[in-house]
Amino acid sequence: MRNNLTPHLIAATALATAFSAALTVAASADDKPTEKCYGVALKGQNDCAAGAGTSCAGTSKKNYQGNAWKLVPKGTCEATVTPTGKGSLSPVASR
Amino acid sequence: MQPPTMPPIPNPARPNGHGRVPARAGAGLKPEHYAEIVETRPDLGFFEIHAENYMGAGGPPLAWLTRIREAYPLSLHGVGLSIGGEGPLDAAHLDRLRELNRRFEPGLFSEHLAWSTHEGKYFNDLLPLPYNADTLARVVMHIDQVQTRLGRTMLLENPASYAEFEASTISEVDFLAEIAARSGCGLLLDVSNVYISGINNGRDPGAYLDAFPMRHVGEIHLSGYAEDEDGGIPLLIDAHVARVSDPVWPYYRRALARCGPVPTLIEWDNDVPAWAVLHADVRRADAVLREAAGLSDHARVA
Amino acid sequence: MPASLERGAGGERAFAARLLDPDCAAPRGLRVPAGGSADRRFSVYRNNVAVGLVATLAARFPVCRRLVGDAFFDAMASLFALQSPPRSAVMSAYGEGFPAFVAEFPPACGLPYLADVARLEVALGRAYHAADAEPLGPAAFGRFPQGAWGELVVGLHPSVNLVASPHAIVSLWETNTRDATVRPVAVAQAEDALVVRPHLAAAVSVLPPGGHAFLSALATGVPLARAAEEAAARVPAFDLAANLVILFRSGVAATARIGAAPL
Repeated sequence: MRNNLTPHLIAATALATAFSAALTVAASADDKPTEKCYGVALKGQNDCAAGAGTSCAGTSKKNYQGNAWKLVPKGTCEATVTPTGKGSLSPVASR
Repeated sequence: MQPPTMPPIPNPARPNGHGRVPARAGAGLKPEHYAEIVETRPDLGFFEIHAENYMGAGGPPLAWLTRIREAYPLSLHGVGLSIGGEGPLDAAHLDRLRELNRRFEPGLFSEHLAWSTHEGKYFNDLLPLPYNADTLARVVMHIDQVQTRLGRTMLLENPASYAEFEASTISEVDFLAEIAARSGCGLLLDVSNVYISGINNGRDPGAYLDAFPMRHVGEIHLSGYAEDEDGGIPLLIDAHVARVSDPVWPYYRRALARCGPVPTLIEWDNDVPAWAVLHADVRRADAVLREAAGLSDHARVA
Repeated sequence: MPASLERGAGGERAFAARLLDPDCAAPRGLRVPAGGSADRRFSVYRNNVAVGLVATLAARFPVCRRLVGDAFFDAMASLFALQSPPRSAVMSAYGEGFPAFVAEFPPACGLPYLADVARLEVALGRAYHAADAEPLGPAAFGRFPQGAWGELVVGLHPSVNLVASPHAIVSLWETNTRDATVRPVAVAQAEDALVVRPHLAAAVSVLPPGGHAFLSALATGVPLARAAEEAAARVPAFDLAANLVILFRSGVAATARIGAAPL
């Protein structure tokens, strides 16, 4: 593979130096109590309730029809995104 | 007539197995209440969980449940097995239920007379089926498979419904009674569902309860519905969204008068309130249970 | 049986097909003895399915929802749910395909970072429900002899999820998670996210340069020196020391052994 075809980019001594330094940094930071609590509890999504009654919230036709789409994003995207994201006309990158 | 107290004979609806759930009121366990429950250890009979919310490999839900299970009896309530479905049961899902059952040793295990999966699509809702000889045979077969795989009896819950089927030839009560008789399963009597279905389909909830095969009842569910209307006719939605609805309480007493005290769950799944609000309804049900136990004792003495 | 009853009426197929099609009337064979409308009654089931699936997606993608607003998100999620209903009854796993849907969703093409934010939220959900394992700290790594450091094979914690992006997805996630009023984020800044849940709290952080390549290589089971080589080859700015600090103290590692020998 690539490893056999390319020269070593990281010398053994460089690795040892980095490893050693990282151990020191990590150990000194390790007494900070992190991740000890339960954290936020995500809501379980399986239930046996009929959600929002019979309102049309979930069955409004216009919400389902892609070709009649009139909604535009109206959340925090305009306030938080600078400077290139907002209003960009570039096609969505698919990865 | 049914005796007013539990029959002395062995009863699959009331197993003597591990982690027995007492004939008291309990609450649905919600993530919003995990911390307060662990810290304050409120007095109640049991907690009930929706099995599917604890089917991850690890993480906080299972960790909290482990701690809470140490202090309380547990009822395991499946919402996604599709026992009423036309297709075969999902073997992988049965295995997940079996593992939860093994790990947490719940005193009760229940599922629904409903379907939720069709040709691999899961609808995340409890959908209705017609009641006739064909569907009866199918449901009994599925319950046999569940009870065999889990190595225990289960309870089957009556649904809330918004319409009936022309293809139904058997009443819901007779359908459930026949399922219990043939499969040996117990029944979970959701009194709110009885009331909701009764109003929605123009049937008398009291007559339903008077005909219900109470000797099979191993648990009762109570919850608050939402009110809507259909062309001027009341339409009740099984929303689990509020305190137990006022009209349901008299029917709960009526059910207890026939079946005696059984574990009773307060279900509250949407717009989950502060723990104290939910616990207040649990205590209210506990008071009704004590009252029913007193009446039963009195009746026995008399 | 009434002659009007078509074969299979009351069956699942007709019911199921109409649950996911808002243009259809109720299936035949429904009866409303109380005198209401079958269409209205059926809409309770259909509405419940739609609302339930959208609520599940809203709970799994709260930052995406905040970025585009509730109305846009719910409509987009409805379309996804109709097209890709769950295939399992375990709803905590639903939505894995949502980022790909968002990436190809024309009305969202002005927000090219949105799909990657969705991928980050998928990663968080996976980490939350991942298997438990005791993380390895710096003390454990320090016990290996220096000569063996390059040969260490590190098993990553089951909760580790990596998301590479040319956009500032972690900054976007942070401000939309923690701030009542969002702060401006230079979205063109690339950020590779690390999600890990070493105990019971999930943490999201930005990896140092080359971190995604380094941890991805470790995840394939190659020894530490070779993983560093691969990262350096792919990312010239690869910072080995900074990445080793992450490896030693963030709970990313669950096991470490020299070659084939267990720890």
